[in-house]
Amino acid sequence: MNFFDYHHFPVYSIMVLFLGAFLIVLMGKNKTVRNIIAFAAMACSVACMLALFKPVMLEGEIISYWMGNRSIAGGYAIGIALEVDALGLFFGLLISSVVFVAGLYSFQYMSHDDNQQQYYTLFLMLAGGVMGLVLSGDIFNMFIMIEILTFAAVALTAFRNQVYGALEAAFKYLVVGSIGSTCILVGITILYAQAHTLNFAQLSLLIPGNLNNATKLAFALLYIGFSTKAFLVPFHPLAADAHGAAPASVSVLISGVLTKSGIYGIIRLTYFLFQTMGLGSMQFMLVFVGCVSMFVCVTMALAQHDFKRLLAFHSISQIGYVLTAVGLCTALGISSGLYHAMNHTLFKGLLFLAAGAVLHETGTTDLGKLGGLSKKMPQTTILFLIGAFSISGVPPFNGFASKWMIYQATYQKAVESGNIGFLLVTVICLVTSILTLASFVKVSQSVFFGQLPKEYENVKEVGLGMRFAMGLLALACIVSGLFPELVTTYITEPAAAAVFNVGNYISAMGFDGSAVAAGTVSFESVGVWTPVSWLLVLCIALLAITIVALAGKYDRVSAHEGGETVDTKYQLFYGGEENVFSQVGGDDLFWGFKHNWKGYFNFMHDMHSGIVNDYALWAVVALALAIVFTQIVL
Amino acid sequence: MFKKLIADSTAKSPWLFHINAGSCNGCDIELVSVITPRYDAERLGFKLTGTPRQADIVVVTGPVTKQTLPRVLRSISQVPEPRCIVTMGSCPQSGNVFKGSYSIAGPLSKYVHVDVAVAGCAPKPEAVIDGLALATQILKEKREKM
Amino acid sequence: MITTILLDALQYLGYILIFPGFLFCFLIGMLLCGIDRKLVARMQKRVGPPILQPFYDFFKLMGKETIIPAQANRTVFLVAPLFGLAALVVIQMFIPIFSFSAFSGMADIIVILYLLLIPALSAIMGAAATGSPYAGVGLSREMVVIISCELPLVMVLLAVAKTVGDALGVGLCFSLSDIAAYQAVNGSLITKLSMIPAALAFMMVIPGETGNHPFDAAEAETELCEGMLAEYSGAPLGVYKLSHAIKMLTLTSLFVALFLGGLGTGIVILDAIIMVVICVVLTAVCISLVHAITARLKIEQIFKYYWTVVSGLALISLVLAWYGL
Repeated sequence: MNFFDYHHFPVYSIMVLFLGAFLIVLMGKNKTVRNIIAFAAMACSVACMLALFKPVMLEGEIISYWMGNRSIAGGYAIGIALEVDALGLFFGLLISSVVFVAGLYSFQYMSHDDNQQQYYTLFLMLAGGVMGLVLSGDIFNMFIMIEILTFAAVALTAFRNQVYGALEAAFKYLVVGSIGSTCILVGITILYAQAHTLNFAQLSLLIPGNLNNATKLAFALLYIGFSTKAFLVPFHPLAADAHGAAPASVSVLISGVLTKSGIYGIIRLTYFLFQTMGLGSMQFMLVFVGCVSMFVCVTMALAQHDFKRLLAFHSISQIGYVLTAVGLCTALGISSGLYHAMNHTLFKGLLFLAAGAVLHETGTTDLGKLGGLSKKMPQTTILFLIGAFSISGVPPFNGFASKWMIYQATYQKAVESGNIGFLLVTVICLVTSILTLASFVKVSQSVFFGQLPKEYENVKEVGLGMRFAMGLLALACIVSGLFPELVTTYITEPAAAAVFNVGNYISAMGFDGSAVAAGTVSFESVGVWTPVSWLLVLCIALLAITIVALAGKYDRVSAHEGGETVDTKYQLFYGGEENVFSQVGGDDLFWGFKHNWKGYFNFMHDMHSGIVNDYALWAVVALALAIVFTQIVL
Repeated sequence: MFKKLIADSTAKSPWLFHINAGSCNGCDIELVSVITPRYDAERLGFKLTGTPRQADIVVVTGPVTKQTLPRVLRSISQVPEPRCIVTMGSCPQSGNVFKGSYSIAGPLSKYVHVDVAVAGCAPKPEAVIDGLALATQILKEKREKM
Repeated sequence: MITTILLDALQYLGYILIFPGFLFCFLIGMLLCGIDRKLVARMQKRVGPPILQPFYDFFKLMGKETIIPAQANRTVFLVAPLFGLAALVVIQMFIPIFSFSAFSGMADIIVILYLLLIPALSAIMGAAATGSPYAGVGLSREMVVIISCELPLVMVLLAVAKTVGDALGVGLCFSLSDIAAYQAVNGSLITKLSMIPAALAFMMVIPGETGNHPFDAAEAETELCEGMLAEYSGAPLGVYKLSHAIKMLTLTSLFVALFLGGLGTGIVILDAIIMVVICVVLTAVCISLVHAITARLKIEQIFKYYWTVVSGLALISLVLAWYGL
């Protein structure tokens, strides 16, 4: 048996993470040993995924792997299977690499915390759980992995249990997350009762032709289960609480990895398991939920006064974009949705790490208390700005490239389907984008610019390890923004093509999938976006202006030369008064906008009561609605 | 070439920043009348700005009370070079009817160099424009020396 | 081989530096600004400044001292205005002058929409970097103005894309060059019924985007001490003033490219002159006239105005375009 055959790599990439978790429990007392084990586990996982890039993404092979070689017997799949198609690999690559970066960041970020042994154990458990989820070819294994990752995430949320609200957040997450997990379990049970198999490929073969009331119920249950994992509306308040309390490196995982696993589940559920996306009503459901998530969460983010809670709401808002694009059921839509999912992982990871850096140095993330950190933490500021510009879709960063594709996809869908409603979707997407920009202007003004409060006079730049992790993500943001062609051709389009070739997915497992027709895949987009040439023009223009400016003595400036006492010339203009500390920022910066939406914001404020009973009630209501909806339309 | 262009432009585009140093409001109204359609100082490029950072000419009205003195000096110090200080009305020059009062710190020339002083209580708009036009020439000279 | 590459490079450099890039923007933008000031003065029965006044202002500012406040972040303070200016020059190069475009095939209306954010964004970043509370309030208002303008602008652009796309039989068309080419053959878009409300809405967006009266709450010199520019002096301030002037040119010429594309003659110089003339007329109507007859709006009124009246017009246009009128 050749251990280095790439067909083994999927199982390795999951196994090393769990193995690392157990080894750390056994012998992780020593810091160096612990860090080496964690690093090795994460690096192996990334390496395995990268090694699969060529056969799966480029050559289109679908890897099926039977644990213990127990394959199909008597027409039914009994053994545990792993199945890696381009879609699974896309998420696997994304997840393993962001886990790697978050781990690198943790080494320094968590160095002042107690119980680091437990932290790394849980961290690797969470990572392994998500990897297992996206690579699994067996629906019950998916459930097991979901349980592992949910409980690891709950424990990590409450990891800093000395922080106010950490336990409460973990409890809320536990309650609603359990409702979601239960839904998934019940859904799986129903499917098993109906189809007598748990293998994903075989279910995809058996279910779509034999829809009955029970399988429709299972669809609703599974959908609700996965949307709790992705924190879609109405489960978004959980994310805010969890992110607010969790350490930044865990927030990166929750936002970059957990939500992706939810999206992955929804794609598998709708495109593979039930193959219902051809229905207009199904498209409507996903696009509607996506738009509502997008808009509600971005407005909620505008009203936040905590850095990490704000990022949490943005996280859901961006997931709304992904779901909207995926719900369009066009090749361009899915490709752009996956592209945005990837970009979201990168820039949101970067932003959370920047928030973590601020928290690490100042001890707070309250927007009302911070200010003027750009003079003390210049590099963090630049990295944060790259992330902020990416998420707000400022060209040439990656957020723009993917959002731009989403606009085209929605508009193309509107034209193709002749449904004016999709036009509204385009408009909502664009407006959400500008509101995102607004709230990141708020953050940069409140945290990094403006005036420095007295108590942060001695703040220093964060350590090299943390800056390196942030730098990696920032670089990825820039590169994936500058070369959208490469990203779409080699990464997202194979994955999107896999979504439309369910037949291949079924056949690769040893069943006859030829009956499932492959969809037409065309990635034509109507617009033109050539970031490299655009950037070239911008650079030449900037260079020309700089030369002219320098020749025109632009550098003849006078500035304060250090020292305690500041000449009145270099003080700020306060209408002639002496300078006092006066920071404009905090949650109410854009009152001119919020004033006109008083009613809406008050309503939202009342709705998000913070009481877990309410959120559980929302979950039940959402489940009821989903059940009714699916029973009617499927 | 650019130096001459900049010097010429300096004379043609003077922006005003107005400081009320305890004035009775008479001069302030006259200053506003200078930019009304009747006298229209904007034809000479004058413009009122809201911040000393953008100003070329600082117009001070009023007798410079003890309360306003530090504010006046701070605001004047925040004006970038080349700059010109114009006092408007008799008050900042001599104290006028307030001379000898316990609360007066003026005249302004005790604290900073005043380039142009326009007399009158309040000065006529024509006189103000004349004074400001003189100030623009001083500005140009200062710029040429820079 | 090498000579052709060099010639091409030289040609593109010429585009960027002279026409329709930097020099063209500088001259025409400043001219528009001067005409605007003169016209406002004439409407108020004043003599007004000479047409060349913006040039004097600019060169004067170049010769002034630049004071960096002690609290400011030096790099961002100095670099932000340059970025805004560069972005504006780039946008100007993407907007076709009737059938002529310097970089054909690169202009996409969604890209233009986002590029228009960069100058405002860099101004906001520069203002934030000063640490002044006046600038803080100013940037808050500026951001609200951007949000206000965005919704109508988006709908106008989508309506145009739909109309041209329908006519070309491709469903939708995001390329500005294609829009220009279509108009060159079939006449200006403004002659279509569905485009008239869109054109009106766009004209209302112009003063908001440029931050002119009555939508200049962000730079209200009487209440906010110039708002975002409160701490800027000397050359960076000059660059901001230049950006403001170029923005007037950018938006008016975008209007020409979107709605009046049928007036071109095919001769580049003549086209450029026609475009400048139309830009002057548009400036007179949308900026100067509005400036002379209105008082400054409060920030929440600006938002309300754009999201109801102007967006309503744009929506009408979008619906009409949808049904092919």
